[in-house]
Amino acid sequence: MAGNKVKKSLFHEFIKGWWDENPVFRQLLGMCPTLAVTTSAINGLSMGLATSFVLICSSFIISLIRKLIPNQVRIASYIVVIATFVTMADLFLKGIFPDISKALGPFVPLIVVNCVILGRAELFASKNNPGRAFVDAFGMGAGFTIALLVLGAVREIFGSGTIFGFLSFEPLVIMILPAGAFITLGLLIGLMNYLKDITKAKEQPAPACLPAGRQAR
Amino acid sequence: MNYLIAPSPHQKASLTVPGMMLLVIFALLPAAIAGFIFFGLRALGLILVCVATAVATEYLINKIMKKEATIFDWSAVVTGLLLALSVSPSLPYYAAILGSIFAIAIGKQLFGGLGYNIFNPALIGRAFLAAAFPVHITSYVAPFFWRGVEAVSSATPLASMKFQQQLTPYGKLLVGNIAGCVGETSALLLLLGGLFLLWKKVIGWRIPVSYLGTAALFGGVFWLIDPAKYPDPIFHLLAGGLMLGAWFMATDLVTTPLTKKGMLVFGVGAGILVVVIRLFSGLPEGVMYSILIMNALVPLINRYTRPRILGRAK
Amino acid sequence: MKKIAKMIIVLSVIGLVSGGVLAVVYQWAQPKIIANQIKETDAAVFKVLPGTKSYKKAVSGDLTYFNCFDKQGRKLGTAILCKGNGYQGEIRLMVGVNNDFSKFTGMIVLEQLETPGLGAKIAEQKFYGQFTGLATKPPIEYVKAVKPEKPNEIQAITGATISSRAVVEIINKSVKQWLETK
Repeated sequence: MAGNKVKKSLFHEFIKGWWDENPVFRQLLGMCPTLAVTTSAINGLSMGLATSFVLICSSFIISLIRKLIPNQVRIASYIVVIATFVTMADLFLKGIFPDISKALGPFVPLIVVNCVILGRAELFASKNNPGRAFVDAFGMGAGFTIALLVLGAVREIFGSGTIFGFLSFEPLVIMILPAGAFITLGLLIGLMNYLKDITKAKEQPAPACLPAGRQAR
Repeated sequence: MNYLIAPSPHQKASLTVPGMMLLVIFALLPAAIAGFIFFGLRALGLILVCVATAVATEYLINKIMKKEATIFDWSAVVTGLLLALSVSPSLPYYAAILGSIFAIAIGKQLFGGLGYNIFNPALIGRAFLAAAFPVHITSYVAPFFWRGVEAVSSATPLASMKFQQQLTPYGKLLVGNIAGCVGETSALLLLLGGLFLLWKKVIGWRIPVSYLGTAALFGGVFWLIDPAKYPDPIFHLLAGGLMLGAWFMATDLVTTPLTKKGMLVFGVGAGILVVVIRLFSGLPEGVMYSILIMNALVPLINRYTRPRILGRAK
Repeated sequence: MKKIAKMIIVLSVIGLVSGGVLAVVYQWAQPKIIANQIKETDAAVFKVLPGTKSYKKAVSGDLTYFNCFDKQGRKLGTAILCKGNGYQGEIRLMVGVNNDFSKFTGMIVLEQLETPGLGAKIAEQKFYGQFTGLATKPPIEYVKAVKPEKPNEIQAITGATISSRAVVEIINKSVKQWLETK
């Protein structure tokens, strides 16, 4: 893996998840919660934060115990660690924020199978020290949360016709239906690619080697 | 005209894309005029708004994508016209504008323009409107409502069949003085338009005949099982958007199979789907989704009905 | 052999630690979750039967209902938990009936998965408000597009007849079931 050969700066590990390797818009990981729960900005934000919590904690713990885990049972161990944190997040939401827990429904327990988390554990946390794993998970979690928040905000504005609470126009019901999720996501990814092309054209030719984690889609 | 050297098969007819599109527009005119007579200025307004928006969107996207302007092939006009004919006359203008933009921008240009679109753009616009404004798209008005002071809301023949088990007389269905979409009510005029296109060889007989035939046959089976509950085959043919869909939307060259066998499969599949949706789903009408679903299956149909190369074993 | 032993030990330790941590979190969260559920039922019961100060839960078969009492301990009526299939998924709702079973005192939708913007309007005051004061006999009926005339009629939501019909059917079914248990 490229990450082992060339040690990139901590700042790079932190910032890559926001844009260059954004889990939703660039890696297209974790599509299930991305499409299913982003019917409003608040749902997107809470889902993003819950996932980030699990991602950061499990990445950190997995990185801590990475040398103790035998290779053959590593996936099983990762899943147990991840499931522990997911259950904690689920119980916490149920206890303190019952409304959000109800709105997110089964998608909180389903964070266990979110490929962003297992992907980071397998690709990054199991190969880097806890500090770097923490920073990487934090960046990825932030990128995931931002993506879900943007998606939720766009769909809420068009689908419910509410912008910060007040009704301004007749809503397009399609935007809060599943079809609207696909349309919004597709258009946002298209926009991201367009912006990327513009910024790339300005910079000098791109380096030949891909950033770490890129190879494993 | 230039002499181009191209591999066979050679197209024998001298039809060009703009020529075909103009013929389609011409064939749709009687139904559009009927819509104007039944639903008044509102219908005419919707047609003009949809066509203008569709053409403007096509032009703008060509500009943005720095492509050759394709508005002169008349295909955007056809899309706008078909969309206007397949929506309720009481649809607000802003919804019609959004639907036309969606049809051209997402349904056609994002796929690469005419010839690359998977789905019929007009139906994509219609499906978008159905999901975006479900109340507007399912509220219909009685014909000649503009004579009164207020618009009289009224159920379409399919809706009154589905929810009240009420049949509408065939005469009314043929002429079209019933509630329904702008250009779908007059089965007779649509049939005439379709036959005109068939005569001019703009469309083939396979899809419309297999589509209509299957819908009638399959619908007829249920009618024979329980004539009190299910409508008869003639009602299936004349009511709703089946005539408009079968002659003008399911025959779109871009979004239908290339092979003769494939066209028959397409028509039969759409015919079964339309009856299933009409009789067993929550919706009274299924023409739109039946064609869209079959559009999605076209690559598969093409693959399995590819003619065998002469002299080669299967 | 050593390898297998290590595998078993590591997995067991991880599992044990995870179980221990979760037990602690569960201990902390469980009372809060139960409190939330009680609060939810309270809010629903008080809303469908205004004036309720206390209630007693009763279960018969798969039907759950709450006998409600006012400040002096007199029986006010019953709040019935109803559930059934809507257009897209299960609808759970609660209706209140007064003590002599002549009128509905209120209705509230607890859970629904209907189409947003259409069927989901069953959870709006404009729709469920119609049930307050509605006659219980004969069973509820719905009308479309016109103003309800009879005391047991409600107006269906425009474009969402199926969801409206589902609500009416769910209530009628559960009320009938409740009457049979009395």
